[in-house]
Amino acid sequence: MFTYTLTLLPSMMKGLLTTLGVFFITLILSIPLGIIVSLGRLSKFKLLSKMVEFYIWVMRGTPLMLQIVFIFFGLPIVGITFDRFTAVIIAFVLNYAAYFGEIFRGGIESIDRGQYEAAKVLGLTPYKTFRRIILPQVFKMVIPSVGNEVITLVKDTSLTYIVGIGELLRAGRIASNRDVSLIPLALVGIIYLFLTAIVTGVFNKVEERYSYYE
Amino acid sequence: MILEVEGLNKSIGGKRILKDISFQMEQGDCLAIIGPSGAGKTTLLRCINNLEKCDSGTIKIDGSYLCKDNNGKSLYASSREMAAIRRKIGLVFQNYNLFPHMSVLENIIEAPIHVLGIPAKEAKDRALELLKLMGLEDKANYYPFQLSGGQKQRVAIARAWALNPKILCLDEPTSALDPELRGEVASIIEGLVEKEMNILIITHDMAFAQRVANKIIFMEDGQIKEAASKEEFFNSYQNSRIKRFVSL
Amino acid sequence: MKGRNYLLILLLVAISITALTGCSKSTASGQDIFEKVEEQGYIIMGLDDTFAPMGFRDNDGNLVGFDIDLAREVFKRIGFEVKFQPIDWSMKETELNSGNIDLIWNGYSITEERMKKVNFTEPYLKNRQIIITLADSDINSKADLKDKKVAVQNGSSTLDAIYKEPDIVETFQGGEPVLFDTNHEALMDLEAGRVDAVVSDEVLARYYISQKNPDDYKILDEDFGEEEYGIGVRKSDKELLDLLNSTLDEMRKDGSYEAIYEKWFGESN
Repeated sequence: MFTYTLTLLPSMMKGLLTTLGVFFITLILSIPLGIIVSLGRLSKFKLLSKMVEFYIWVMRGTPLMLQIVFIFFGLPIVGITFDRFTAVIIAFVLNYAAYFGEIFRGGIESIDRGQYEAAKVLGLTPYKTFRRIILPQVFKMVIPSVGNEVITLVKDTSLTYIVGIGELLRAGRIASNRDVSLIPLALVGIIYLFLTAIVTGVFNKVEERYSYYE
Repeated sequence: MILEVEGLNKSIGGKRILKDISFQMEQGDCLAIIGPSGAGKTTLLRCINNLEKCDSGTIKIDGSYLCKDNNGKSLYASSREMAAIRRKIGLVFQNYNLFPHMSVLENIIEAPIHVLGIPAKEAKDRALELLKLMGLEDKANYYPFQLSGGQKQRVAIARAWALNPKILCLDEPTSALDPELRGEVASIIEGLVEKEMNILIITHDMAFAQRVANKIIFMEDGQIKEAASKEEFFNSYQNSRIKRFVSL
Repeated sequence: MKGRNYLLILLLVAISITALTGCSKSTASGQDIFEKVEEQGYIIMGLDDTFAPMGFRDNDGNLVGFDIDLAREVFKRIGFEVKFQPIDWSMKETELNSGNIDLIWNGYSITEERMKKVNFTEPYLKNRQIIITLADSDINSKADLKDKKVAVQNGSSTLDAIYKEPDIVETFQGGEPVLFDTNHEALMDLEAGRVDAVVSDEVLARYYISQKNPDDYKILDEDFGEEEYGIGVRKSDKELLDLLNSTLDEMRKDGSYEAIYEKWFGESN
């Protein structure tokens, strides 16, 4: 059984690479976009704020899988065509940016107004106020919620199967059907657990780093 | 004149908070604005610090107009001019509003470095000097949550002072402090006056005002009821309402 | 007011999506497949790479299987380079008609419903809907399925096949089959003893059993009819369809089809 598991590893690692690719690219793009989304949502311009609210509503109100299908299969109808991986990344980034945006919005709204006023009387520009005073405090506040979301992202990467991308879970299903065995799926489960353990560990470390103040 | 306020009016939600406020501060003044809560003291202070916009009237700080009355409407300085005017005035909030994620030292050097563009080393030396004056030289690397109320206040004063404003405003400096710490704050403010800082204090603490201020303004119901030197003010009780307030 | 606005927007979005998808059929057929192959240099064959033994991956991740070998040979003869594109099986017709793939070839059963959406080649493999039980089962005929738990893959052509004999389905315990997402799950449930029999594609079931201990299973002589695998192409690609048919014919005649069949299914056709 151990040697059998070993034979599974190369194809699993290939799938894992794809999974990690989707994971990291989504994370790197959706967090900054999420900050922009939260600012748009909090904007004083009613139209912008309403548009962002609508976007968040659509992204959170429909299944991610449907969004992938729509972007990959639906957009070509109006002449916008992406390759599989790009379509998946666009769907993931748009979806996760909406969730992160709402988390950041909550964080930003919970910062005391006095912090803005203190920055203003000290003469800090709105950009510097946000970048140096507000954002660092928001980050500390949202770490737990962002951590939850990132763990969900690890598992959501499996949704890419709908456009035939060979990620980890698909690699497991191929091996499971081929060898008529549940072991590949168990192995996939263990790899996912490993990934979430790493993510949890990273977030604990980050939380620790931010715990220097209350 | 270091500060001139002329015909200031301000309404919030249809309610008139400030009614035709006019007063002046001269170089070397320590002015205390006293009055019962709800008198409009804090709104006045917020207008002077540009945290609220007044409806009509003029505010002139050290020769520059923060806002100028034009046919019953206040016209504000452009944002470029505003940045320069901003530097002439500093504010210590009632609850200090220190930045919790920054150490004491970082709180103080933030604006000198990122607003005035002073080199970090220089800003740090100056901050340590200010902390020493405040008796907090050993707390430079502490975070705000590790400090007592009085210590936080002194950090907030140092933070405002680090920008070398012409006027330093303090909003209710004694309200959040234990009675025994009031003397401490008073002596710090006296120290600032000695260093030729112009001070504007909002307070409802008569004894405190009497100790530190050289001029007193009594406000009630959005209006200035009395403005006088400290001696005059405490010697004459023309207004029975003041009498009642003073005797509290 | 707020809620009503959203409803209105939702309605508009729904209408525009319907309008857009309505005209989708014209887009894929705009280009002839031969021009397309010449332009991109290859033809794209869509398959579910989890479907052993027709098309799946070996330990090193290479695509293998009966359909894969067959397709390689067919396109070698036609002179097309073939690129295999894994897809999700539930999206196969959408993938085909949106032009992401040029043909579906992966144990694709010919049904009337599917014939409305795609053109099928002549059948290249027959596939019975067989009944599998554990070796020690007392079930020996369709009649013995009375009051037994019978498992079938949901949405499969097998399900259509058993409902062609509704009298027998009615005798199942509960009057209907137990549905599973995949044949593998159905067969695993049989192994666990939670169902008494599985009706499944013969190709898939024989592969499954051959990977286990064949002595543990019994395949009944009776079946639920036969179905056929074909290759699906877009309605517009008539020339391609003819070419595939003639090439498969040629391979049957010169014995190369037989050789591939034996490699994957052992016994002769």
